[in-house]
Amino acid sequence: MPLDSFLLILRLLLIVLLYLFLMQVVIAITRDLRKTALTSADGAGQAAPVLGHLVVVDSGPSSITPGTRFDLETQTTIGRGPTNTIQLPDNFISSEHTRLSFRNGQWSVQDAGSVNGTFVNNQPAYNALPAKAGDIVRVGYIQFKLTQ
Amino acid sequence: MASQSPGVSQRYRWTELGLFIVPFLILILEMSQLLLANKDQTSSLSTRNLPTIQGLIPAVGLIIALLVANMVMSIFFRKADQVLLPLVGLLSGIGILMATRLGPDLSPFPDPALGSRQLVWVLLGIIVCLGTLFLLRNINVLARYKYTSALLGIVLVCTTLVNTLRVKNLDSPTHDQLNIGPFALQPSELLKICLVIFFAAYLSENRDVLAEGSLKFGPFRLPPLRHLGPLALMLGIALLFFLFVRELGLALLIYGLFMAMLYLGSGKISYVVTSLLIFAALGFIGYTLFSYVRARFAVVAFNIVDWQNWTARDDSFASNAGLQIVQGLIALSSGGILGAGLGLGHPAGKHFVPVIQSDMIFTALGEELGLAVLFAIIAVYLLIIYRGFRIAIEATNIFNQLLAAGLTSIFAIQAFIIIAGNMKFLPLTGIPLPFLSYGGSSIIANYIIVGILLRISYNTAVERDGTA
Repeated sequence: MPLDSFLLILRLLLIVLLYLFLMQVVIAITRDLRKTALTSADGAGQAAPVLGHLVVVDSGPSSITPGTRFDLETQTTIGRGPTNTIQLPDNFISSEHTRLSFRNGQWSVQDAGSVNGTFVNNQPAYNALPAKAGDIVRVGYIQFKLTQ
Repeated sequence: MASQSPGVSQRYRWTELGLFIVPFLILILEMSQLLLANKDQTSSLSTRNLPTIQGLIPAVGLIIALLVANMVMSIFFRKADQVLLPLVGLLSGIGILMATRLGPDLSPFPDPALGSRQLVWVLLGIIVCLGTLFLLRNINVLARYKYTSALLGIVLVCTTLVNTLRVKNLDSPTHDQLNIGPFALQPSELLKICLVIFFAAYLSENRDVLAEGSLKFGPFRLPPLRHLGPLALMLGIALLFFLFVRELGLALLIYGLFMAMLYLGSGKISYVVTSLLIFAALGFIGYTLFSYVRARFAVVAFNIVDWQNWTARDDSFASNAGLQIVQGLIALSSGGILGAGLGLGHPAGKHFVPVIQSDMIFTALGEELGLAVLFAIIAVYLLIIYRGFRIAIEATNIFNQLLAAGLTSIFAIQAFIIIAGNMKFLPLTGIPLPFLSYGGSSIIANYIIVGILLRISYNTAVERDGTA
């Protein structure tokens, strides 16, 4: 019967299309992977020079001496926990306190859900705030000056 | 793939649109197959003879919805992941077609509108997914509401418990539903999202403490007791489901989620081994104490291949307690590699698999579309899971990473549990197959998950290379 054979063709076509779709997705994914591999290779080349520093201006209640310099990376995290780039042993600092990221030539500072907050020039940084060299970044009760 | 230069044509999500083409073709192809099968004399499909236009509504409606979603995403969230939506769209489409096909044949209560209702749920799901993308601007806000989320989870558990005590009929497949007005809500679907938010927030905060592990029991190290408390509470919830609501599948899902996230958060295999041992012990106690658990396992041990030598007792088992699994396996074997063709098998009906439209949908797919399509569907799940974990790896902070990984694990564990249940590999339990099973709560909850994953990928991309 023609209907029967037509239905069989439809069935086979379905399987072909499904696997075609899978192949398409896999190709899209590999292209995506290759692209990120390229960009991260670029990023590795750029990350070598130090992009900026945080200098302690006012150490607040903590035992850090004012004038201490911390080097910054493109993605820097500040907090009490051992996984942070900059670890500050102070009771007013949360285990994950602040995140700084450098993109398109500009620093942005964001609070990472801390208790005592992060401020850029006394503006609370609940959402990412831009910061430039010379700005005062307050993490808990410790004040830093951002320098290039 | 759009590049950095902000030309209008390059701002579009071309990859996503390109990936939509084949799923759309598949939907239209299957819809026409369904319409043709309707004309076939041998078909079991007892649909009213669909007018062609009306019959095409499920497929065309979904295609339009997905195209609109693609456009909205291109305008507002160009940098969100482009692969997830086509994969999910394909599964939802197959789900809608299957519901359309099964609805008129369901045995006690035929439901010709099942397909259009599933379509409405999927449309709502896509809207909810986009809504999640718009509302959840800062994912980290969720971390602040972790105890609220845990509380909501506990409330959901309590309502389910109270409802179960009220219904009392623990053997009915829908005893965990909440009937509010015309809607039958399945609280467990929202519960899993609440739990993942809580786990992710809790683990990301206490990661340092958990990773160290200060309590020692021989080769095992456990985190300090104070930090174990909330986690133990979650375990308690899983157990409650196990013992009182008789939701074996949900208990497995919650426990699996718990172990996956504990491992992701702490990187310690010893925690996983410890919790597995505890689970094995509890499972054994449950097995000896509760007859319903034994009944579930009896199906797994049942030998179906040897049907010629069945005793009378086996026979009655296969037509009562084991009916669903036995019929499901027969359906799968009758489908073979190519399947009977959509609308040409006998998946639903009086003597065939009960609850085929939700829990046993996998066997219906196996019978009508064949083993080849089942493999493709599992591959689609694998790709969704791969994509989810990739979003998790790229995310910038620990909470986002854990959240994305946890939400992805839901898909992985849930699909595994229910497919394994259908295959007589694990005891069958009533949890839906994500995106394919009929059911509003499940569809909406899964689309919320997709929305959160897309938002995380968008935030990551924006943080990495700006909004341009």
